Parts: sequence; C-alpha cells; structure tokens
Amino acid sequence: MSDIEVMLDENAPIIPIIDGAAPPKVRVRKRGRVTKWLAISWLVFITVSAIGAESLPYINHSCDQFDSDAECVTGTKANIRYSERPPAWAGFSDSPQKTEPARYGLMGTDKNGFDLFARSMLGARTSLIIAGLAITFGLAIGTFLGMIAGYFRGWVDVVIENLTNVLLSFPALLLAIFFVTFFNDPTTSAATTRPLWPVIVSLVILSIPPLTRLVRANTIAYAQRDFVVAARSLGAKGSRILFKEILPNIVPTLMSFALTGLALLIVAEGALAFLGLSVEAPTPTWGAMISFGTSALREGSWWISLMPAFMLFLTVLSINLLGDVLAQRFNTREAIS
Amino acid sequence: MNTRLQAASRQVDGPLLRVTDLRTHFRTERGLVRSVDGVSFTLDRGKALGIVGESGSGKTVLSRSIMGLLPGRNTERSGSVVFEGEEIIGLSLKDRRKIWGKEMSMIFQDPMTSLNPVMRVGKQVSEGLRIHLGMDKDTARATALRLLQDVRIPEPEKRLDQYAFELSGGMRQRVMIALALACGPTVLFADEPTTALDVTVQAQILELIGEQRRDRNMSVILVTHDLGVVAGHTDEIAVMYGGKLVEKAPTRSLFANMKMPYTEALLRSIPNIEDPSHTRLNVIPGRPPDLVNPPKGCRFSPRCEYVQPKCINEEPPLIAAEHSDHVYACWYPVGSPVYRERRAQLDAEKRRAGHNQVGVA
Repeated sequence: MSDIEVMLDENAPIIPIIDGAAPPKVRVRKRGRVTKWLAISWLVFITVSAIGAESLPYINHSCDQFDSDAECVTGTKANIRYSERPPAWAGFSDSPQKTEPARYGLMGTDKNGFDLFARSMLGARTSLIIAGLAITFGLAIGTFLGMIAGYFRGWVDVVIENLTNVLLSFPALLLAIFFVTFFNDPTTSAATTRPLWPVIVSLVILSIPPLTRLVRANTIAYAQRDFVVAARSLGAKGSRILFKEILPNIVPTLMSFALTGLALLIVAEGALAFLGLSVEAPTPTWGAMISFGTSALREGSWWISLMPAFMLFLTVLSINLLGDVLAQRFNTREAIS
Repeated sequence: MNTRLQAASRQVDGPLLRVTDLRTHFRTERGLVRSVDGVSFTLDRGKALGIVGESGSGKTVLSRSIMGLLPGRNTERSGSVVFEGEEIIGLSLKDRRKIWGKEMSMIFQDPMTSLNPVMRVGKQVSEGLRIHLGMDKDTARATALRLLQDVRIPEPEKRLDQYAFELSGGMRQRVMIALALACGPTVLFADEPTTALDVTVQAQILELIGEQRRDRNMSVILVTHDLGVVAGHTDEIAVMYGGKLVEKAPTRSLFANMKMPYTEALLRSIPNIEDPSHTRLNVIPGRPPDLVNPPKGCRFSPRCEYVQPKCINEEPPLIAAEHSDHVYACWYPVGSPVYRERRAQLDAEKRRAGHNQVGVA
C-alpha cells in the first residue's frame, strides 16, 4: 500500500453522502504513471512502424535500386557509397578516410549501406510477428493443458506435469535451437528465404511449459474455491465450470504473464536470429542485425550492432513495464473479495 | 414450477431423506480420518433439521457427503442415503448432477467467496435456470429477477447487472440463497449460512430461509456451531461430536430436557446478556478429538466434567429417552444420579475457588 498516496483536499467542503450524490473527489496518486504511458507510446510507435514500414514518411524506404519486387525483401534503400556511416548525432567516431556525407540518418547505416533506422522498423515486424504468434499459440495450448491438468487431476495431471518438467529441465535456448534445426527442411539452401513457422513452432513449444504450470496452479487454487463448489452443487458440468467459472478468473493473471512471455520470446527470437537460426537474411530481424554488426565492432562501428540492440531493449523493457502495470491493475487478491 | 410438480408426484411414503449409518473417511498420510462415522437420521418434507457441533466435528463433511459433493480421490464413503425412495449413494456423476440444484442445493458459509467475482449476479442466478429448466435467456432473466425479489434484495433490477463485489455481505448471501433456490430444490443445505455475517443480518437471513422453507415446502438442513441460531429456526436438532451424532431431539425437547453433557456444555458456553460485565466465559476445556485416533470410549470423555471409568472404556450407544424421538449417547446423562452427584461436587469446588479468588484480590 506504500506506493499509493491518498491526498485529501482540505479545502473541499464536506458533502454528506445522500443517495445518488457524488462523493467528494479524492485524488489518488499512483506511482509509475509516466513510465506506463511512455511504455505504451513506444509500443504503439513500434507496432505502427512495423505495420506501415513501407509507406510511413519517416521511414526511409525505396526499392528503386532493385529490378524486381522480389528482391526488395529488405525493404530499404541500399547505397554502398554510404556504407558504415555513423548516426547523424554521433559527433565522435568520424572516419577521415570515408567520403561525404560522414554521418547518415537517425541511426547510421550498415556495411551494405542500408539505413539502420528503416531496417530496424522492418526488423520489428519480423520479431513482433514471430513472438506475438508464438505467445498466442503458447497461451492457447498452455491454458488448455493447464486447466485440464489442474481440474481433472489424476493421470492427465501426471502426464502433463511430467512433460512440462522434462521440457523445463532443458536449457531453453538449446531446446529452441534443437527444434528449429529439427523443423527446418535441410534441403532448402540458405539462399532461399526460410519460412517463419519453424521458428514460431519452436518458440511455442518453449512457452507452453511455464504457461501450463501457471494455469495449472491457478486452476487448482480456484477449483477449491467456494464459488466453484457452489456451481458444482447447482449441477454445472465440468466444461462449464472450467470455461465459465475458472477461466475468466485466471485471465488477468494470464494477461500480465503473457506480456512477460512476449518480451522473453522477442529476446529468444533475437538470440536465435543472432545464431543465424531465425528467418534467413536479407529479411531483417533485430537479432540478425545485431549479429551482422558484430564483425564491424572491432573497427569502431559500434552503431551497427548497438542501434537494433537498443530497439530490442526498449521494446522488451516497455512490454515488461506494461506487464507490471497489468499485474498491479488486476491484482487477483483484490478482485476476489 | 414443473420440477416441483414432478418431485411431488414422485413422492413416496416415508421420510424425504433417510440417512443410514453414513461414514465418510478420508485417507491421509497420518491415517484414516473418520470425519463422519456412522450417522443415521431421517428428515421429513418441509421440516428443518439443525446440525450442531464445533469446528471439526464433521458437520460440513456430513452435509457434503449426503449431497455427494466430496472429491472422489482418497475419500471412502459408505452407508446409505435414500432420497425420495431412491438410493443416491453410488450414483454416477451424471446422475448426481441431475439432483444437484434441482433436488438438493447448498448455501455456503462465506458469501464473499461463494459467488464468482467476475460474473454478473443476474447471470449467475439465471445459469442454473437455463441449464436445468431449459429456459431461454429472457425467461431466465425474468425468473432471476423474481428470485431476487423473493429474497428481498432492494433494487433487484439493478443488482442483476452488478458484480458480487458491489454488494454487501448480507446482500451477497441473499443472492446465494436465490441461486440455491432457483431450481426449486426439495432439500436445502445451509452450511453455516450466517457465520460470516453481522448479527443483525444473521437474523434476517435465518428468517428468510425459514420463510422460503414454508413457502416452498422444502426441507432445510441447517449446519451451524451456534445453538442460538438453530433454536428458533428448526424443528429438530442433531448434535454432532467427533463425527458421530451424540444427541438428537425435537428442538423444544432438546432445550427443555437435554441429556448429553456435551449439549449442556455447548449451551452453557453461550454468553448470557444478563451476566455482569467481565464474567468469565464458560468454555469447554480441551480440543475436539483427533479423528484419526478417536478415544476408545465416549469421544467426549476426555473433556467431560462428569467423566466416569465406564465412559473411557465403553462407547455409549444411541438410546431413546422418555420420548422415542429423543435419542442420545451417554452412560450418565444429565439428570441421572451419577450426574447429580458430580454436579454438586463441581458446584462446591467452584464456590470455593470463587472465595479464594476474592481473598487473594
């Protein structure tokens, strides 16, 4: 309770509360309101940019230099003459041997002369689609498994519990690497663009065990609640109790956890991409961009890796902050009484 | 309406509910917990039975055992429950579900937790109507409104669209009663329906249950630890101790002529408003028996003021008093010569202790 400060306006007249009369206004100051809105704005910005990367005016986009649309998967203009230019605001790190212009754009360019800002926005699309789809499927499957394990118990519970334990006992990234390589068709060469689904499926598998455990624990807790026994005593069926009595009660907890999961999956996708296991270049994704820039780090071109890493960091941070806000907002303990 | 007519047509001779030697044991790591250990009673249509006992005496488990609401794992239930001439122990879950809500329903102790916090009140009340009675949405809503009016909820129309947390404790319990009454049950189990409520609201809720019982001609099993609660609202009282019935009698004759020292002790532990302030509360010393290892003889013997060697070694059977509807399980019931002798002794001790205390002060 310490983070909520109640401030009573001392000058406010004391209004007796009569039926229907508005009670005196009490200003309640909550912590973290500014951060919440900053986080939301950033997420809105990233989402809008990711959706409209090709047409938004602030994203430097052109496919003019390509012969066909198919080649334009990178989505951004490359100009080899402008390769490895630092961002416009970077006063230091001028390389004298490079010709003008010495600096370029908000985030500089990479080795191929791609505008890093534009590429980061396109990279956001891949990262968000993969992580978003993965957490959605993970939620659906995890919730289902967790609820039947927690409600029916018995052998169903034993099977599901053991499976999640097995999956959880592997290092997550190792498991993801294993699944991606397992699902990827070895016959497709690196030259063709790899499909999204192996990455998504691996991340879904990664997200199921923790979600299942969370839902199972919550289901067990709610299944012993009086209102569930009351519903049973009135003759409600198992499926009805699960979906109408228990599920709506665990949705708030799930939502705040899902946001944390989303952030984790974005990072996991980044890690996979860094190892070259996510979608194939030239489709941009944050992890691949970071990885692409590492070789240039030694030469002092820090921005190539750092700029996409910064994007990733801000996005994950925003999602986590929002997750915290949701967790507070839907404090399940408060919602029950 | 329909179901009640059907229920009436199925009525057979004899009591509505006959419980015979019902036992419910839970398997735990410590051993077998005998929560209900051979309970028998009958209940007629339209009558109210009070089940009284302290926490852990098995009264809640008894009511849930009769309904068949207990979890299946690690539970052993035996004996017989005949409801409207039909054995209901051993029914499949599907068949039990047909009974729940329509024939038997239950009100719970804490209205704060017995309503779904994220479902509107109207929906909760009308759900059962739609499932059991196949009403359409509008009819169910209208019936739910009628039910809320029946249980005297102010502004029922508004309440239909509110959530449980927007209602006061008393109102929530009224909603719970409306829920339990929705499908016109023949037996209503009220499991400590007033424990979580204010004293003023308690009386209203009990009054409401009694009124609905008369209006609907349904039977009520009122489970409570408070003899005061059952006194005015039941036809019969059964006292439970350590998983067994120890005394059962029509309410009037129980209060006028109680036989079991435990019942007497319960009654004496109710504070009297006419006592001067700071009067010590009469308590029953000790704890309820361990249901894994109950005492060999009378289960109340370790705490009984009138205990005799026979009580510790031999378990008293349920025997009839002067009237056959009054039964009790005690070797030396209230009023017997042994009891009177011991009582006089105790009173003398108490007086001495009282004098001593004054002297010290």
